[in-house]
Amino acid sequence: MIDKKAIRVALVGRPNTGKSSLFNRLTGLRQKVGNYPGVTMEKTMGLSKWAPGVLAEIIDLPGIYSLHASSVDEQVVMDSLLNDDVGEKIDVVIGLADGTNLKTCLFVFTQIIDLGIPAVLAITMTDQMERRGMELQVSDLSESLGVPISLINARSGQGIDQLRADVLKATSSSKGPFFQPGGLHLQWVNQVDQDHDFNSVYKSWLYGLSSTVYSDLINNTGRTPARVRADEAIKRYRVVNDWLRQFFYTDPGKDRRWTARLDKWIVNPIWGSVILFGLLFIIFQALFYGSETPMNFIDDQFAHLSNFLSGILPSSFLSHLITNGIIPGISGVLIFIPQIALLFGFIALLEESGYMARVVFIMDRFMRPFGLSGKSVVPMVSGTACAIPAIMSTRNMENSRERWLAIAVTPLITCAARLPVYALLISLVIPDQSFFGMSLRGLVLFGLYLIGFVTALLGSALLTKIMPTAKVNPFLLEMPSYRLPQLKNVAHAILNRTKSFVSEAGKIILAISVVLWFFASFGPGKAPDFNQDYVAIPIEDSYVGKMGKAIEPVMKPLGFDWKVSIAVLSSFVAREVFVGTMATLYSVDDNEKSSIREQMAKQKNPVTGEPYFNLAVGVSLLLFYAFAMQCMSTYAVVARETRSHKFAAIQFLILGILAYGAAFLAYSALA
Amino acid sequence: MYLSDLKVGQKAIVLQASISLPVKLYEMGCMPGEEIELNYAAPFSGPMCFLVQGTSISMRKELAELVPITDPNIKSLQNDR
Repeated sequence: MIDKKAIRVALVGRPNTGKSSLFNRLTGLRQKVGNYPGVTMEKTMGLSKWAPGVLAEIIDLPGIYSLHASSVDEQVVMDSLLNDDVGEKIDVVIGLADGTNLKTCLFVFTQIIDLGIPAVLAITMTDQMERRGMELQVSDLSESLGVPISLINARSGQGIDQLRADVLKATSSSKGPFFQPGGLHLQWVNQVDQDHDFNSVYKSWLYGLSSTVYSDLINNTGRTPARVRADEAIKRYRVVNDWLRQFFYTDPGKDRRWTARLDKWIVNPIWGSVILFGLLFIIFQALFYGSETPMNFIDDQFAHLSNFLSGILPSSFLSHLITNGIIPGISGVLIFIPQIALLFGFIALLEESGYMARVVFIMDRFMRPFGLSGKSVVPMVSGTACAIPAIMSTRNMENSRERWLAIAVTPLITCAARLPVYALLISLVIPDQSFFGMSLRGLVLFGLYLIGFVTALLGSALLTKIMPTAKVNPFLLEMPSYRLPQLKNVAHAILNRTKSFVSEAGKIILAISVVLWFFASFGPGKAPDFNQDYVAIPIEDSYVGKMGKAIEPVMKPLGFDWKVSIAVLSSFVAREVFVGTMATLYSVDDNEKSSIREQMAKQKNPVTGEPYFNLAVGVSLLLFYAFAMQCMSTYAVVARETRSHKFAAIQFLILGILAYGAAFLAYSALA
Repeated sequence: MYLSDLKVGQKAIVLQASISLPVKLYEMGCMPGEEIELNYAAPFSGPMCFLVQGTSISMRKELAELVPITDPNIKSLQNDR
């Protein structure tokens, strides 16, 4: 765990000020990364040794436009800064300011100073400032603020040592407060301070305005909380504008030139769409074709390993567990790495370059009829990797209703975990033919992605129709300047997210594989005797066989036999478990080691004698996986993000009914 | 005149609104007294992107219709360079 004696340093600033780069720079490779991709998006922490005996715990907080919270993201920052508990209290804040966008960044920084927490200012993008002909009298600004300022370049590491030194010397003696609540507000501010022991006017002010408890008291002053916040913003900008007039020079012609030039094409109604769909096309092509070879390679290697080990190991329970339980389990996890890494890489590139904001802008008009805004495109695009970071990415939506809609429909987007299931089933039941020059299998896969998107949009439109709202969606979005993505940050994103996928999802999948192996290898009345050689029992007599048989009647209308039923059931933990379960079930059944696809193709329908996995069963299974919310982690994240188990349970139920219905219709029509 | 009336490249000054606008608008820098310029707008009444206080902010047209501004034509006559 993190050392209690470490000084806790929080990074706070507007989005796109280079916080992640600075975080990576300050913590180096020693960072402690969050649990699941995105789940700790709220706070990323890293421990770093700055000098002998000086440990710093760096806390990377989400980007904010104001300390007053308008979205869940901003709420996280406010809560962290107001928290005074031992072990949670923040000792020093590093305020970040994009040097090319000082005004709005300094606005947030004056709020930070007024909290009374020791603070220092780090100005980033200093190379860009020079290029754009901007000049800042740093020492004068530093004197007016009463806090040290360091000019940093996270890419080259310039100014980082200065920043560290500033942090270690930081005190709360700034020139603030830069904003003071007027006399008519003192009564409720004092009340908040008394109730919560903040011992700080501005902390009480922030808390009071965010809590509904005090809204009556505030309304008594004759102004609404929204009006009070707007007044504060105007006053603060007045102070900041005053400083900039004195200490800052800019050549307006040079500013934003490149961004404006690129935007001419990128947000152009025609070219913009061409570029967007071209990019998406390239990304998906790269995902399918780029990951095929490494995935086959991983699959083959594990089949070889399993064969090799079963050849040299004695036929004991242990070796059977290794070759039929653990190895298929591990390979079921590792096989995802190529795809997940590629997808996370593309998403990181889109975000780093500033293009994601343009996607939101272009898509807004299109998303409106479905009750969504362009902002929902972000969870939908990241949902193609994994629903969990996608649902987390809704945190910056200010409109709680839209956020709610996006969370409700995101699990329908085809995530990376469905891909191996789809790939396996398609290769089993769809012939390898070409259709108008395109691969039929590829088309079916594309169709499944389309089904995901279309049902998500229709679902959202339906929910909007059932529960209409009169509220205007404010939809405010900053368009950052384009920036060359830093490969280091992209690599970090890929590495961290893939690593946490392997360690978190991997644990579940591996555990299930081992448990399944146990239940598939032993049955009621056949207590395991570990001293004896392993003797296979017919799988029908095993625990798994009994369970499968028990639920078979429910699954029969979908065309699922007891083995498939077990795989579907175990997939409710995570979809990708399907492939692993099939592998475990069939390799327990069969002593020859061949690839899982060959094993499944050999299965015969006991009634007709034809191959069991025919078109009807295949399509039924594909549709079931397209709709069902078969992922415990998604359920957990939805429940956490909506703070409602009811929401998650209803969502789970509705998607389950949809899946069952679609699979039933498909099977009835095709069988 | 309102923000939604601006044409691409036109500049105006934001005026005090009589109704309550989203606070976030102020906090992002779009507030009375500031100069604002329309960068570009999406077709079919889609969102519009403005440059104000050095920041590019996108908003939907229905919000831009609520933000009052000075007449851009008069303004440009005064500031003719």
